[in-house]
Amino acid sequence: MAVAIQQHHDRIAAYLKKKPGADVSLADVVALAEITAQSLQSVFETMDAAVHRELREIADYIQAMKAEIAGLHFNELKHTRIPAAGQELDAIVKATEAASNTIMECAEAVLAADARDPAFKAMVDEKMLIMFEACSFQDITGQRVAKVIETLKHIEARVARFNDALRVRDAGGFVSEAERASAERKERLLLNGPQLDGNDRQDEIDRLLAK
Amino acid sequence: MAVDLSMPILVVDDYNTMIRIIRNLLKQLGFEDIDDANDGSAALNKLRGKRYGLVISDWNMEPMTGYELLKEVRGDPGLSKTPFIMVTAESKTENVIAAKKAGVNNYIVKPFNAQTLKTKIEAVFAE
Repeated sequence: MAVAIQQHHDRIAAYLKKKPGADVSLADVVALAEITAQSLQSVFETMDAAVHRELREIADYIQAMKAEIAGLHFNELKHTRIPAAGQELDAIVKATEAASNTIMECAEAVLAADARDPAFKAMVDEKMLIMFEACSFQDITGQRVAKVIETLKHIEARVARFNDALRVRDAGGFVSEAERASAERKERLLLNGPQLDGNDRQDEIDRLLAK
Repeated sequence: MAVDLSMPILVVDDYNTMIRIIRNLLKQLGFEDIDDANDGSAALNKLRGKRYGLVISDWNMEPMTGYELLKEVRGDPGLSKTPFIMVTAESKTENVIAAKKAGVNNYIVKPFNAQTLKTKIEAVFAE
């Protein structure tokens, strides 16, 4: 494009040199306009080719992005895998709650019973058996957790591939007002949740409180 | 100072299973008068309707957290002296420091055992 503009300037300069000091006539203006039009024609042609090439690149990029988005299997994730993982987690919560309640019912019954009662031993044996049975939730819960982890790995692999393909940077901020409100509430009320090493912190916490 | 086993205790937790566990542990320790609430605002209503000797509260609840409940209790002249133990999975240092600043009497990290609960209750009433 710079070459075309240079040629345009050269042609105008050459025309003006032919008429040093002369008055500018209507024919001169028309001639200059003609030179300008011809020069701009080549500029437009250059621009057309550049714009066309850039549009083609954008179209190719969009096509590649569409292929990557399709590769995310978003509909499968949204309608099948994520709801299924949510159901597994709900089932885990219910199973652990049910097991805890069963075990506590047994313990409460044993604590409330009269040890001098001749039926006491049989009752304790029965309650112990029920407690053992209740503990079997752990095996099923482990299998459910494994399914949820599998779903998370599936999502992670696809998102990582998508990110590699598009080489995008993380955007700041929140995707919704609800997400922002939730994050702000957590920060304001120090809702950090359980820590991985939280179980071992009682002694440290006692020291903090004693200071 | 000996702990008064007849004092009413308010247990605050959004998980009924946890309330049941704490209730059973308190009964094993000899306490009989135990009430419960599922969040801070429900607890506050109960606290304003009955004089409790001790509050044992979870931190993470909705709509009102245990941390907010603690601040409300300490800000209410009629409740400000009520002993308050936080029983929570929130174990970060910033949580402990914030609870201490807000006036918590003791802090127990979940999961815990009967001995820890007993020790902390005794420590509160020995103050």
